[in-house]
Amino acid sequence: MSELRRAQKSLETVRRAKEMLGTFYRRHERRREGAPLAWCMAGISAELLSAFDLPWEWPENFGTLCAAKQVATRFCEQAEADGFSQDLCSYLRNNLGYVSRALELGATPPEAPGGGMGTPTMLLGSGGLCDPRTKWFQALSSTYLPIPVFHIDPMSPPHDVDPRDPRIAAHYTELLRETVRDQVAFLEEQTGRRLDLGRLRAALANAQEMIALLWEIQELRRAVPCPMGSEDFFTGAVVPLLFMLGEREATEYFRCLRDEVRDRVACSTGVIPGERYRFLWMGIPPWYNLGFFNAVGELGAVFPIETVYYVGAPVEIDLSDPLEALVERSWKRATWIHDWGAEVIPENCSPSGFSAPGTRLIRQWVKDYRLDGAVMHRTRSCRAVSWGQIHIKNQLAEEGVPSLVIESDMADPRSWSQSVIMGQIRGFLGAVEASRREAARA
Amino acid sequence: MALRGLARARALYEARDDRARELKAQGKRIVGYLCYFAPPEILEAAGLVPYRIRGDIRERVTDADQYVEPYGCPFVRNTFDQAVKGRYDFLDGVVMAHSCDSVQRMYGIWTHYRPAAFTHMVNVPHTVTPASERFFHRELGLFKERVEAFAGARIDDRALEASIDLYNRTRELVWQLYQLRKSDPPLLSGAEMLEVLIAGGGLPAAEFEELLREVTAEVRSRRDGPSAKRARLLFYGCINDDVTLIRLVEECSAHVVMDDTCIGARSLLGRVTNGDDPLAGFVRYYFTGFQCPRTYRGTDRSRFDYLIHAARQFQAQGVVLYILSFCDPHKLDLVDVRRYLQDAGLPSLVLEDDYTLTNLESMRTRIQAFVEMVA
Ligand code: SF4
Ligand code: SF4
Repeated sequence: MSELRRAQKSLETVRRAKEMLGTFYRRHERRREGAPLAWCMAGISAELLSAFDLPWEWPENFGTLCAAKQVATRFCEQAEADGFSQDLCSYLRNNLGYVSRALELGATPPEAPGGGMGTPTMLLGSGGLCDPRTKWFQALSSTYLPIPVFHIDPMSPPHDVDPRDPRIAAHYTELLRETVRDQVAFLEEQTGRRLDLGRLRAALANAQEMIALLWEIQELRRAVPCPMGSEDFFTGAVVPLLFMLGEREATEYFRCLRDEVRDRVACSTGVIPGERYRFLWMGIPPWYNLGFFNAVGELGAVFPIETVYYVGAPVEIDLSDPLEALVERSWKRATWIHDWGAEVIPENCSPSGFSAPGTRLIRQWVKDYRLDGAVMHRTRSCRAVSWGQIHIKNQLAEEGVPSLVIESDMADPRSWSQSVIMGQIRGFLGAVEASRREAARA
Repeated sequence: MALRGLARARALYEARDDRARELKAQGKRIVGYLCYFAPPEILEAAGLVPYRIRGDIRERVTDADQYVEPYGCPFVRNTFDQAVKGRYDFLDGVVMAHSCDSVQRMYGIWTHYRPAAFTHMVNVPHTVTPASERFFHRELGLFKERVEAFAGARIDDRALEASIDLYNRTRELVWQLYQLRKSDPPLLSGAEMLEVLIAGGGLPAAEFEELLREVTAEVRSRRDGPSAKRARLLFYGCINDDVTLIRLVEECSAHVVMDDTCIGARSLLGRVTNGDDPLAGFVRYYFTGFQCPRTYRGTDRSRFDYLIHAARQFQAQGVVLYILSFCDPHKLDLVDVRRYLQDAGLPSLVLEDDYTLTNLESMRTRIQAFVEMVA
């Protein structure tokens, strides 16, 4: 366990994230006994929550936090003892195990990081992205916490369906619109308040800015040497993008981050000295060991781009009807993502601000980001994200780019073997170096 | 002499796709499907032959590993491995549904590496709401259009009605056979029943109807039915398209008298309403009322009432829960199902498998102990 380490952040803004993103990091101050509190799944619209001024917490994020604090195993084991299979998503097991233990103790488990999670009054799930999401809050509510559940349920057009065909667009957006409206009705009932359209409009405007800023940051990361690596992306960009989309302070945070990254590019300051290799990161990171990226950095490799929590290009929306704008944004983003190939990244439509890039985009990144290889994290308990990696590996091989698959889990460190994985990384670097020498000789 | 009834069902089951290949040789077009969310009635109405794609539990997954990850539904991986090995080359089309992540993702990989003349995925929402029912209705309309385009002719209303009637007749006949399992001992074993149903998945519906009639007549008058056993069980869980496991349970002195699985009670009993809007009938049958754990149906345990009801109706004393590794939908229902069954006085036994049945002997020991307990 001692080999597992936290990330060393390179960027000053990322180091200041906790202090700059108070809405998120001081959320426990918003908890009021008996007042509405939603546990939410990434994939729903954070802007809607802020339009209702509804305090929220995110079990998936809590999973990453427990992983980083090395207590996820404790909670996962509790869920397993309650009958939940070890195959199941470790975020989910962590969350169910945490709740099970809290109920057993009648109090927040002492090992829970950040004072644990607040007691929810409702569960806001997302039917999109993966099956476990559809079933997670069902199991949570029926086994442990009998509180109301609502799932949004947008669907994504399969890879061989054309989302630009007006009939297809109408078919999918109709469901999207209805599921978002159903969610609003649920929130109105639960909070006893009407949706504040003005607040929603403002949040969506903030989100538009935020998406554009993060997009710019992602473009800036193409520079050589790379100004921002995956360790900073995962520690500094995921929380505001997934859980704070539309919050003003998150937008300002991204502006600050963009400025810093831009300055670095202007001064040719890289994440690591003597950058030798540039790799694509594919998969969810090992949250309990983000220092892994630093360890690979010490061997001369940097990760300028990732396939997860990918923001995608900004799209234009008409904010006059903000609910319709949310539908418009979701669909336009889905279409953009779909354009790049959806054969193994099929979930493209959600009211959130993140997705995953299609095959053709990843192939293009080889040139855009000057990639020497790809490292793919096969997470046993999350097949939704790791299925398709072999296909991408095959596609990258056609571009002459090698890939390394490492195997473990995103939140459950029991499956991480530092010596095996670092051995694989060294071997991979050796192979990349050898083929470089070969190419130079040819 | 040509085989009839149960013997013919067994031969068809063993021969897997021989009949489909014969039909193909006669110029028919065969369309494989993985899940009932894409109603086979529609394919049949277009003059195509629907073929329910099977895995092969005896065959190790090898070639598919070049294209798809090792972790993930082992059944879906196995079917794709069959495809990579050329076993499904007789199919003119492949239709899948977004039944779960595994099938949804496999569709993209399958169509990339093994493209067919006709491929389609039917998208299926995860929750049952008026909006999602409308979506699924439209989705079936699009599916029908694609099938028509491939078949080269419109499916006229009469053809669709006739196809629905035909499928309803087969389901009615299946139900009659199920009824013959209510007696003790049942007139038909669980393994025999499953053989008939799996055989039916590889036949045009009219031929399946004929087979069912033969089997029903034979079983009604048979004297060589199952002998008395110590317990009666219900078999619940993931896709089971091989009779080995049911046979094993029955070797352990328990009758499998009822089931809640895909190739069984979940999709082969009941009727599709045949009215002015046949697609609405499909929505009700294959989505709203379709008891597959991949669909969210609220948090109340009463969502499993149908299971308790089925167990009572068939006087099952316990339930075998057959779960494949990495099956998120089933695994996430497991804790609830077990507790609910327990509260209803029905003990349960979980048999987990990776679609290889390599641990058959340890399963035998556990089944024997379970039978001992419930008997
Ligand atoms: S996408 Fe993966 S990590 Fe996220 S909830 Fe689904 S299974 Fe868990
Ligand atoms: S067994 Fe489970 S994972 Fe496999 S196809 Fe069926 S529902 Fe999907």
